[in-house]
Amino acid sequence: MGKTLFEKIWDAHIVVENENSPSLIYIDRHLIHEVTSPQAFDGLRMNNRSVRRPDLTIATMDHNVPTNNRTLPILDQTSAVQIHTLEKNCKDFGIQLFDIDSPDQGIVHVIGPQLGITLPGSTIVCGDSHTSTHGAFGALAFGIGTSEVEHVLASQTLWLEKPKPFEIRVKGKRKNPHAVTAKDIVLSIIKNIGTSGGNGTVIEYRGEGIRDLSMEQRMTICNMSIEAGARTGIIAPDEKTFEYLRGRKYTPKNYESLVDYWRDNLKTDSDAKFEKNYTLHIDNIAPQVSWGTNPGMTCDVTESIPFPEDFSKGDQNQKKGAEKALEYMALKPGTPITEIKIDRVFIGSCTNARLEDLIEASKVVKGRKLSPYVRAMVVPGSQMVKKQAEELGLDKIFTDANFEWREAGCSMCLGMNPDILSPGERCASTSNRNFEGRQGTGGRTHLVSPVMAAAAAIEGHFVDVREMDLN
Amino acid sequence: MKGNVIKYERDNIDTDVIIPGQYLKVHDYAELALHAMEGLDPDFHSKVKEGDFILSGRNFGCGSSREHAPIALSHSGIKAVLALSFARIFYRNAVDGAFLLPIEIEDDAYSNISEGDEIDIDIHTNEIKNLTKNKTYKMKPFSEIIGKIIESGGLFKYKSD
Repeated sequence: MGKTLFEKIWDAHIVVENENSPSLIYIDRHLIHEVTSPQAFDGLRMNNRSVRRPDLTIATMDHNVPTNNRTLPILDQTSAVQIHTLEKNCKDFGIQLFDIDSPDQGIVHVIGPQLGITLPGSTIVCGDSHTSTHGAFGALAFGIGTSEVEHVLASQTLWLEKPKPFEIRVKGKRKNPHAVTAKDIVLSIIKNIGTSGGNGTVIEYRGEGIRDLSMEQRMTICNMSIEAGARTGIIAPDEKTFEYLRGRKYTPKNYESLVDYWRDNLKTDSDAKFEKNYTLHIDNIAPQVSWGTNPGMTCDVTESIPFPEDFSKGDQNQKKGAEKALEYMALKPGTPITEIKIDRVFIGSCTNARLEDLIEASKVVKGRKLSPYVRAMVVPGSQMVKKQAEELGLDKIFTDANFEWREAGCSMCLGMNPDILSPGERCASTSNRNFEGRQGTGGRTHLVSPVMAAAAAIEGHFVDVREMDLN
Repeated sequence: MKGNVIKYERDNIDTDVIIPGQYLKVHDYAELALHAMEGLDPDFHSKVKEGDFILSGRNFGCGSSREHAPIALSHSGIKAVLALSFARIFYRNAVDGAFLLPIEIEDDAYSNISEGDEIDIDIHTNEIKNLTKNKTYKMKPFSEIIGKIIESGGLFKYKSD
């Protein structure tokens, strides 16, 4: 019997194999950041261990860096300590760091691919759940906890339970690919399979609906695999993948021979078996807006807030969850999504802060003005994205419309830096999680695409972006 | 292992309510514990006792990879979380640092055990006894290596044995 792409990469990285128990897997690239690494380095020091492969370990600071003026000192003392701790740890252990002043600094999942560090067929880990993003390149990429970070630092290996392969086929063509984006595809998937629909699996996204996507759009899809409960997501590499990585700063010197190997080997065999299958037809899908407190609580922009009994389809926990979510979100069932007024807009995060995301959002904003009732920020995913966007004049389009144009970082995705919502504020956000308090205590998050976020910023409420001129 | 149950009758208890993002900068575990479950249940800190268990629905611990989540619960006194299913990273974080036991249960235990019930968990027989209601339920056994990591007291203790 043939193998799936994920099984081929898994098998190529086994150090110790165990049936029905975790196997020891070799790790090709380890990305670290300031929040989940300090205790891991403490552990190494306590036990007199060194970093096994500092040359395969790459660090940046993204989670708690301020996104305003970089020439100012960091006011939050605990953040400053975490940032300086990472600097010291990288220096002591010989790890390359893209620090706050580096032109290559940015969200770890944005800079990995951008620098050519993320490669097809490799295993990648990072102490961050959205490591699944790198799966867009045909890499097997897992988010891990701090004890596991320490284990990888010390041994370049990790005990992992073998996930089950899950095929998600995306069929058809979007009629308006500017208005119905990769974010809308992945939110539709999560809405349909649920936030635990992918538990224990690696999702391989396949089909023409995936092939048609650019690399940056594929990253948005793989990024949110974790929100469907999957261990990670993966997409077989193709010519778009190879072209994206060609000639980047850290692309290997023998790149073309690697491409020949990848082209022949990194695909699922035609007779391979998946444990689970799901198919999404995208011909007629609408732009998506989340209304609740997990990413599965999402509906079409043309719909109304659902009644908990309809949403739950008889499941008591789902019903209670929906009732609690509506209470937290201060929303009434039956309210049309387009009547929800917003206070804040966040265009950023490892899900949607790449150059294409900013280009698409700028098309909505160009020549228009921000609603006087809304505060909107655009936070590029990396300093390199910021520079490229500025070369295209995007910063001017946003600032002319009264949007804030900021420095790279995780920013308002996770409420651990100065960019947060105030209690009760409602935000249209291009990030990945609408959990209670995620963007700040009492903050209310609606997950949307960059285009929808930009349109909501202009109009002050959600709109069907298919009706706008986006070409 | 005996203790009383704190029950959250819902699915998808996420890491951001277990320990909100603003506390990820806190290095001191005792201080982290003060904020455990703050996003969901502000009374948690005042009601939790050493040796208590949490009982919840599907996909417990979904979301972020923050190890702070099991650490905050563990330093509040929680010895085990019983849930219908777990998000993988939370599960591994709980086991790797030997912070608490993530125990997968079936529907009967989930619906039958009530808030405040005293239960006795035996990870060798894979049984949960409800001492308040005088009932017994099955738990899903740990896989071999996970069991060994738990017995050793965490990933690094297991590796150096």
